[in-house]
Amino acid sequence: MAGSDQINVCESKRVVPLNQWILMSNFKLAYNLLRRPDGTFNRHLAEFLDRKVPANVNPVDGVFSFDIIIDRTINLLSRVYRPANDTEPDATLSTTFSQLKKPVSTSEVVPVIIFFHGGSFAHSSANSAIYDILCRRLVTLCKAVVVSVNYRRAPENPYPSAYDDGWTALEWVNSRPWLQSKDSKAHIYLAGDSSGGNIVHQVALRAVKSGIKVLGNILLNPMFGGQTRTESEKRLDTKYFVTIQDRDWYWKAFLPEGEDRDHPACNPFGPRGITLEGIKFPKSLVVVAGLDLIQDWQLAYADGLKKAGQDVKLLYLDKATIGFYLLPNNDHFHTVMNEIRSFVGPLPSTDCE
Amino acid sequence: MGPYDSSISAPAGSSSTSSSACSSSTKPRQPPDQMDHLLAGAGYKVRSNDLHQVAERLEHLETAMVKSSPVEISELGHDAVHYNPTDLASWVDSLLTELNTNPPAAVGVPTDLPDLHPFPADINMYSNNPPPLHGEFSQQVVTPLEEDVSIRLVHVLMTCAEAVQRGDLSLASLLIDDLQALLGRVNSVCGIGKVGSFFVDALSRRIVNSSQNGVVQDDLSAYENEMLYHHYYEACPYLKFAHFTANQAILEAFDGQDCVHVIDFNLMQGLQWPALIQALALRPGGPPLLRLTGIGPPSPDGRDSLREIGLKLAELARSVNVRFAFRGVAASRLEDVKPWMLQVSPKEAVAVNSIMQLHKLLGPGQPIDVVLDWIHDLNPKIVMVVEQESNHNQSVFLDRFTEALYYYSTMFDSLDACTAQPVKSLAELYIQREICNVVCCEGSARVERHELLATWRDRLTNAGFAPLHLGSNAFKQARMLLTLFSAEGYSVEENEGCLTLGWHSRPLIAASAWQAVPEPSATMGQINHP
Repeated sequence: MAGSDQINVCESKRVVPLNQWILMSNFKLAYNLLRRPDGTFNRHLAEFLDRKVPANVNPVDGVFSFDIIIDRTINLLSRVYRPANDTEPDATLSTTFSQLKKPVSTSEVVPVIIFFHGGSFAHSSANSAIYDILCRRLVTLCKAVVVSVNYRRAPENPYPSAYDDGWTALEWVNSRPWLQSKDSKAHIYLAGDSSGGNIVHQVALRAVKSGIKVLGNILLNPMFGGQTRTESEKRLDTKYFVTIQDRDWYWKAFLPEGEDRDHPACNPFGPRGITLEGIKFPKSLVVVAGLDLIQDWQLAYADGLKKAGQDVKLLYLDKATIGFYLLPNNDHFHTVMNEIRSFVGPLPSTDCE
Repeated sequence: MGPYDSSISAPAGSSSTSSSACSSSTKPRQPPDQMDHLLAGAGYKVRSNDLHQVAERLEHLETAMVKSSPVEISELGHDAVHYNPTDLASWVDSLLTELNTNPPAAVGVPTDLPDLHPFPADINMYSNNPPPLHGEFSQQVVTPLEEDVSIRLVHVLMTCAEAVQRGDLSLASLLIDDLQALLGRVNSVCGIGKVGSFFVDALSRRIVNSSQNGVVQDDLSAYENEMLYHHYYEACPYLKFAHFTANQAILEAFDGQDCVHVIDFNLMQGLQWPALIQALALRPGGPPLLRLTGIGPPSPDGRDSLREIGLKLAELARSVNVRFAFRGVAASRLEDVKPWMLQVSPKEAVAVNSIMQLHKLLGPGQPIDVVLDWIHDLNPKIVMVVEQESNHNQSVFLDRFTEALYYYSTMFDSLDACTAQPVKSLAELYIQREICNVVCCEGSARVERHELLATWRDRLTNAGFAPLHLGSNAFKQARMLLTLFSAEGYSVEENEGCLTLGWHSRPLIAASAWQAVPEPSATMGQINHP
């Protein structure tokens, strides 16, 4: 085993910048400590290790944030990120409650991106540093408001808690007068990475059934799976920060007791999946990393959408590993950011950071 | 909660250090100490020049983990105490040490110490309340109308504060009338209605009294002070968290010491100490000789309340066979205390315990410097500092007002959720007095000069102290206690070796531990030399 691990280490180190390798390896090893073989999770240590940042109503690089409870009964928190108003001369003055909820615009379209952070349904929070940074980038990139949902996590809160929370967030966003812009409606996109991408799909499904309009879905390395072992899983197992074993653990923690990975939450177009033919599903941007071991499932997802006649753009990044979008020092990052910007509304091209 | 369905977190005056990358104004050109700024944004401090070394350590750690059994890995997660995950290199090294591979000379690895039983329900001398039940949320529906009114309330509050700042007192007075009217339309039992009324009250006092030199708060009697404090202690977990975290750190710092001396900067009713006495009694190897020096205001009516508390504590200590001595130091202000009053002996290990006291020394004259100096000269094993996590010491009134509005709104929000005491008026009064001091007072009368953890870090470092990190054991126990004693919604966070307790994602108090760095002229030695 030791020999092949050395090879694995060399391989993954070759394809990502060193600081990125350190970040992903740190997560990998820390997460190994947190998953117990009996299926329970060391939540105390997880919260201790997670690097969090507070919200900040004073604009930093043109973005400010504040936390808001969107459902008191379950303490569902979201962090709202907004662009600082350039026309306000004293942009650094203490922002008041009333300004936090100032209507975004009456004349222009201001997209609202509901963001679901990753973490395989078990890790991270809306106030995790890595996701706070990502959401701030999305604000600047898309001139959007971003609402990052602090959904309930497995194993303490398995299926369907995360989906319920996602749905609550969508309803909440849709009903906030101050998130409406042109034509007095909210222009809503759903975005998420890893488990967040999975949540995007499920929430979009519910939206279609309920008549809330979602303009587009952005899925970054979405977490899907299935009972069989695909070729990519076998080929890439243990090589780039992720293992089949840990994927299995997270699915077991999230899915209902006794279910297997062909449950439609895990495998939406599998043997127990439903077709989306004839449904007005939002357009989708699906980003797949070429070194992600679950890519076969992600490609199958994109394929399933396409076969059902849905509008889907697949962005396949050959040499990308998981988490490439967390640090901006690689080409994949910039490629994806450009795609996201084009996807979210017809804005003039500007250079993204 | 109340009419506005938000728990809004406050402006972070100096943002959390984990996002320091964003707030640096210039990007230095790679001096040797340069941190990798991308990792810094993600919350990890690794020097650019150390990246390769850290990567190597991670590889070793992975190899070691692969070689270990699942049981050993589980133990790593369970029994090992983790410290300051932001310092990635040290964290990795500590894990390697735990797995018994060959690390380089790591900073002192902590040993496991007996866990503290923080709130001895059986040895509870002061509280007559039954143990609190886990609260349930009362669901309050927010009507759009109420939300509008509460938004307007805040808007007018800010406008009024601006007018006060500008000196336009006639406008400010008019706005007070508006505010009273708005308060009438809003649910004043909770939420913005409740905390809003305290701010309106504070503003109107400031306006009325501005002809004189600011407001002087009425002094409460010692008894009244204690009552309010006690109710605040019971109604919400902030003080309990402070005491518990401090005791845990003090216990660890006193490991191996036979004579220990705790100096409490605000004895109050001594609520913190039964738990420490009990823990020392139970420590492996037996308890040390414990001296406690309690500082507090002089009693006016011939009572010696300090001594009374001391006697009760002595009785408790005797009952658990801990040799104990108490000394009371009466002083109306902390800056009036002189080190000779504390009678510290060079043979004893000293712990200085300051729960929400140091900020009072930041007023005119900055007595903090003198006090930190003599604390340092006591050569304490540990200085425990717990402070309100907000910047209420800004000289610009409007900024201070805004921060306070955010901070105390959040605190009141958290109070609402605790149902241990259905009627919280005395606890609220305790907080109200703080609000009043921040908003109405100036000069030496303004003692509630809270500052952020980042500022305290700088101050204490400059005064010759080095951090002692609070670890995952204290973190875990704090979290477990919160589920026992409080409503859901409280959150404990780790912040580079310090712990914060807050409401949802907004830290409200911060606990940090320090030790004195020896003067350069003294004999050389490692910081963690016992």
